[in-house]
Amino acid sequence: MAKSYRFELPVGEDDVRQLELGDLVTLDGEIVATGGLPTHQRIIENIEGKTELPFPLDGAAFFHLPSYNVDEPGGTRIVYLNPTTSTRFNPLMPRIIRHYGLRIVCGKGGLDAECTRAMQEVGCVYLSILGGGATLHTEAVSEVVDVGWTDLISHYRLVRMRVRGLGPLTVGIDAHGNNGYEILEAEARARLPAIMAELNATRRT
Amino acid sequence: MAITYDAVKDLTARLYEWSLKRIPDDTKLALDTAMSTETNESARQVLKMMRRSADLAENTDRFVCSDSGVPVYFIKIGSGARFEGDIKRAIRDGFAHLVETIDPPLLKHVTNPLSQERGYAGKDMPIVSWDVIDGADYIDITCAPKALGSGRWADLEIFSFPSLEEIETYILEVIVGSAAQQCPPVVIGVGIGGTFDHCAKLAKMATLRPMGSTNPEPVLADMEGRLLKAVNKMGFGPMGTGGDTTALAVHIDYASGHGFTPVAVCFNCWINRRTRARLYNDGRVERIE
Repeated sequence: MAKSYRFELPVGEDDVRQLELGDLVTLDGEIVATGGLPTHQRIIENIEGKTELPFPLDGAAFFHLPSYNVDEPGGTRIVYLNPTTSTRFNPLMPRIIRHYGLRIVCGKGGLDAECTRAMQEVGCVYLSILGGGATLHTEAVSEVVDVGWTDLISHYRLVRMRVRGLGPLTVGIDAHGNNGYEILEAEARARLPAIMAELNATRRT
Repeated sequence: MAITYDAVKDLTARLYEWSLKRIPDDTKLALDTAMSTETNESARQVLKMMRRSADLAENTDRFVCSDSGVPVYFIKIGSGARFEGDIKRAIRDGFAHLVETIDPPLLKHVTNPLSQERGYAGKDMPIVSWDVIDGADYIDITCAPKALGSGRWADLEIFSFPSLEEIETYILEVIVGSAAQQCPPVVIGVGIGGTFDHCAKLAKMATLRPMGSTNPEPVLADMEGRLLKAVNKMGFGPMGTGGDTTALAVHIDYASGHGFTPVAVCFNCWINRRTRARLYNDGRVERIE
């Protein structure tokens, strides 16, 4: 039975280690969000000592959550935001997760086995956030704290923001090496022969 | 009386905006039905959030999804339709005007595949497919913006004289291979036969068919019903995090061809963006979806 949690960010290792696949998590506090491949490449460059980060990512809740953000006299405003597909960043995420000891990665579509290993090592979970939830997610943003790499287009910028009641988000990969996406895919593949047998048995023509 | 540049420019832009802010009625109904049949508690929560998200976007005139995709239109020209002004330019100008005026503004999603640069315009944008309706005194315009989330999982394979079992096996393999990353529950469009290009179009057009409609070809009506049940036994569920609701509909169309038989599979995500209207010679606009 799925449990529900509400966490104040930043979360500790114990907080995320207790989570199981399918649990529902609602978040308050500070997250870092971007939707850009160039952004991930710059983060890798930082790991390699070639570039500076606009702000630290250590222990962060890192979201694949691109936004339309506008710079206004009083600061930056998020007009809307919504997740992107995390698997696009599979090749880069293991290094990022390990180097900064991320506690949460959030997006849609999950991550691969190598990312799952990195998450198990450092104590990090993957949370699935609703795609097509722009209005709900935008309502949960309470404050933009900082915006980095403003030379990039809006959805590629690295945005540090505070959220209140973001979620519920579904635990898709836990901190113990269990990847819900891979489990579901394996189960679906295992069911295919039976599903095909039924398709063949019920074909009327 | 004629269909003018201004009327086409205005209507194509408005169809795009409507598609971003309101999900189709049949899709709302299908989500409601799914909520009553879904047995996984977390999946029910996700479905509930989907409905809340769609309602909130509609009521506050906001986008359901931040990825507004690229502009894609399917236009059928009545053989009795008359035009005044450039129609292709009207569609291009309509999108450019929308970019400047729409509230909230659009993100840059039009991507040059050679440089990865993103903007609002590019070669062949908007993407428009044309067809003809004999005898009609209107043009029929469907707008279905396409984004990466569901667009990247489409697939096509060419077979030689395949059996129905081979076709169905391939369709299921494409779905399992995508591992439900297209923001399910999805609408699945399938094309069978014709040629490489025509088959892909059949699959795409099939996604646009109203949900609950039945294919007049008995073989396909049977296949649609059986495949929908089969897909929903896979267990991917809403947003691919487990559940009974992986697909809302499977729509299939076919065309005669040669012995080689392409089979194409494509997806619409749960928001199933689709709007449609007719523009008559006398300037009247009839909103269909």
